[in-house]
Amino acid sequence: MSTKTGKGKVIAEWIFTTDHKRVGILYLIGSLAAFLVAGLLAMVIRMELSEVGPQVTDPNTYNVMLYFHGAAMILGFQIPALTGFLANYLIPLQIGAKDVAFPRLNALSLWLFWMGIILALLTFVVPDPPDIMWTGYPPYSIISPGNTALYASTVLFMGFASIAGGVNLITTIIYMRAPGMTWGKLNMFVWTTLGAFIIQLVFVPVLGSAVIMLTMDKYLGTHFFNPASGGDVLLYQNLFWFYSHPAVYVILLPVLGIIFDITATFARNRIFNYWACVVGGVGGIVLISGEVWVHHLFTSGMPNWIRVGMMVSTLLISVPVGIMVLSLIGTLYRGAIEFKTPMLYAAGFIFLFLIGGLTGIPHAIASLDLALSDTHFVVAHFHYVMAVSGTFAIVGGVYYLFPKFTGKMYHEGLGKIGFVVTFIGANITFFFMFLVGLGGMPRRYFDYSHMPELQDLQQIVTYGAFILAAGLFITLASWLVGLFKGKKAEDNPWGSRSLEWTTKSPPGPGNWAEVPDCTDYDPYGYGEDR
Amino acid sequence: MEDSTTGHHEPEWEVSPWPLVVSVGALFMVPLAFSFYFVYDKPLMAILSLGIGVPLVIASVVGWTKGGIADIAHHGKEPGFATGAMPFFIVAEAFIFVSFFAAYWVLRLKAPNWPPAGTPEFGVTIPIIMTILLVSSSFTIHFSEHAIEHGDKGGFRNWLIVTIILGAIFFLLSAFEWSHLMHGGFTMKTNLFSTFFYSITGFHGSHVIVGLIIFLCILVSAFFGKVSKTFVKSASVYWHFVDLIWFFVVTQIYFW
Ligand code: HEM
Repeated sequence: MSTKTGKGKVIAEWIFTTDHKRVGILYLIGSLAAFLVAGLLAMVIRMELSEVGPQVTDPNTYNVMLYFHGAAMILGFQIPALTGFLANYLIPLQIGAKDVAFPRLNALSLWLFWMGIILALLTFVVPDPPDIMWTGYPPYSIISPGNTALYASTVLFMGFASIAGGVNLITTIIYMRAPGMTWGKLNMFVWTTLGAFIIQLVFVPVLGSAVIMLTMDKYLGTHFFNPASGGDVLLYQNLFWFYSHPAVYVILLPVLGIIFDITATFARNRIFNYWACVVGGVGGIVLISGEVWVHHLFTSGMPNWIRVGMMVSTLLISVPVGIMVLSLIGTLYRGAIEFKTPMLYAAGFIFLFLIGGLTGIPHAIASLDLALSDTHFVVAHFHYVMAVSGTFAIVGGVYYLFPKFTGKMYHEGLGKIGFVVTFIGANITFFFMFLVGLGGMPRRYFDYSHMPELQDLQQIVTYGAFILAAGLFITLASWLVGLFKGKKAEDNPWGSRSLEWTTKSPPGPGNWAEVPDCTDYDPYGYGEDR
Repeated sequence: MEDSTTGHHEPEWEVSPWPLVVSVGALFMVPLAFSFYFVYDKPLMAILSLGIGVPLVIASVVGWTKGGIADIAHHGKEPGFATGAMPFFIVAEAFIFVSFFAAYWVLRLKAPNWPPAGTPEFGVTIPIIMTILLVSSSFTIHFSEHAIEHGDKGGFRNWLIVTIILGAIFFLLSAFEWSHLMHGGFTMKTNLFSTFFYSITGFHGSHVIVGLIIFLCILVSAFFGKVSKTFVKSASVYWHFVDLIWFFVVTQIYFW
């Protein structure tokens, strides 16, 4: 490779890279591509629902689009943007390491993820695309004419990437901290991501097994989920949610982590109750996450005494989450808050997460959930609590790190306008979606001729979605303007105390000329000068 | 990059083509080939996909191993974290088996009668022989690891070869048993028991193959005089894990 010069060399250095920062950036590009496609499909979905009767698609296409929207948003956008881009980029910089423990394995995760994206995109070219929603429940996924194997392989490629990435970064955090970097000096982002990776290691393999069983049942004629010969369809639901509920903590933990770091930086403040947050918050979530999955099956049939038990354990998880949100608010308290764009997103996140959390309570109460489950109410709930608030954290994180990983400043004015428009759009969309859900609109329905009275509300939701999309395009513009025309970024434009800002912007190979000594270091040591 | 003015070494961006190549290979080898064959009924295209995928994967495994050897040779770099990472990887692996066994237990305990109709009698000889083989191979890899720690390269190599032979016989026996059962009309499709029998032994078998490939990579590099102790140690931990899983397989599937 060294004989090549100029462009060829630069390209080779990017696509063959094993450097954690470049791997991270390539993760970001892939996940934003997934977000773009899945987001545009969401717009088509909204256009379809804006009026009674078929509008722009047909029922089968609707199913395929909704399949892609769900699967790509979760597996292709949020998880990779958080545990791929942010974690890869930040963790070595925050713990003072030159790279991750296994750089080549890291590149392997990256490219498996990209192959997963390609597999997901194949949905639009193959005959009989998968139409089984991102949950892939049997028996429909077994009798459907769609290509269930494509779904399974997408999940498996993304899953393998997650497992390899998890092993890699856990090892990095444990063994590669700079001298003097004790456990008490880790950024919140490092802690929360560590928690997320531990969850992934345990649960992703279960999801992998579930989709393998599904593929075998459909194409090799086995009987895992076939009641006629002693199998059980609910077995799939159990395995699936055994993974997919913890998966929301895989998303939530890094989200909270980056929000903590943004908040501490822009409020010039310490983390309120650091250890309570690490032990009670992150630790608590990791411990409890494994035993709440059954609440996704409240309506699938189970004895009442299990329902009650599961209800309690589900409400229990709000304790560690509550501890972390309290710390977050405490971090703002008496801070010298500076509302740059990343901080706006952090503030917006707190609001959205609050609404999402509060509307989760009726779902946790089994008797209410029997009515709400599978309506647009639950769709609105998880968009608030995970989809949109997670996207806010990711966008805020990209803004926060923009100067570091591009070496340029984004466009602050466009950034702020983009935030306001996105925030308004998101709230219109999903607030009115609650009302649509309470009105009885079932989830995953292509049409609602049986309840035409919902049309007005549905139209408001659709307008909101277009405002939301406009906001996201303004955000994109703020990045592109910054990338091509922005002024050069300083090494530490935010005046942060955290280690990642002591490198050059953007950092070169190896991050620092010498591994930093962290004996007198405190990522949140703002002390008196705030 | 040689800086001409100062003569200083600027650090270079590190690169390796193999992660990308192996991913592309895996894409063709597994999902595309599977979809062509089983979903779209196009065996020719499936063979073509395999024809693209398999060489890419093999080339990457070879290239990757070579790169690892070169690292040790040129920079004296030991991949120091492999032993630390192995336990985490094993946790993930274990949970694949946990899911399959959990499914098996749940469905089996619910079944009105067991084994379901169509299950032939299982002999005990083959599983006992297989157990003996695998347990001994766990010992031999341990001896091999022990030898390399004391700098005894010859002993290390011989014990490694013995391990590979034991593992290979284990695998052949398993294949023999499969083909025997399938000829007797007991296939994956037969009933719930066949479903679990083939999937669980198959998964375990695939781990045996992966273990054997790792051992071969170590052995070949050893012939070039390059041995990484951490690598041997991690491989041996992995092999003990495969052995441990076999205990579950043999007691739960064969003898219960
Ligand atoms: C860009 C703005 C977005 C809009 C307007 C939007 C809109 C929608 C709508 C209307 C549905 C329900 C359709 C139905 O049930 O018939 C839906 C489902 C869903 N959305 Fe979004 N969404 C957006 C962003 C996201 C994001 C960022 C995520 C990331 C996690 C996400 C994840 C999901 C999931 C998992 C489903 C459920 C799919 C299923 O039922 O299987 N969405 N979305």
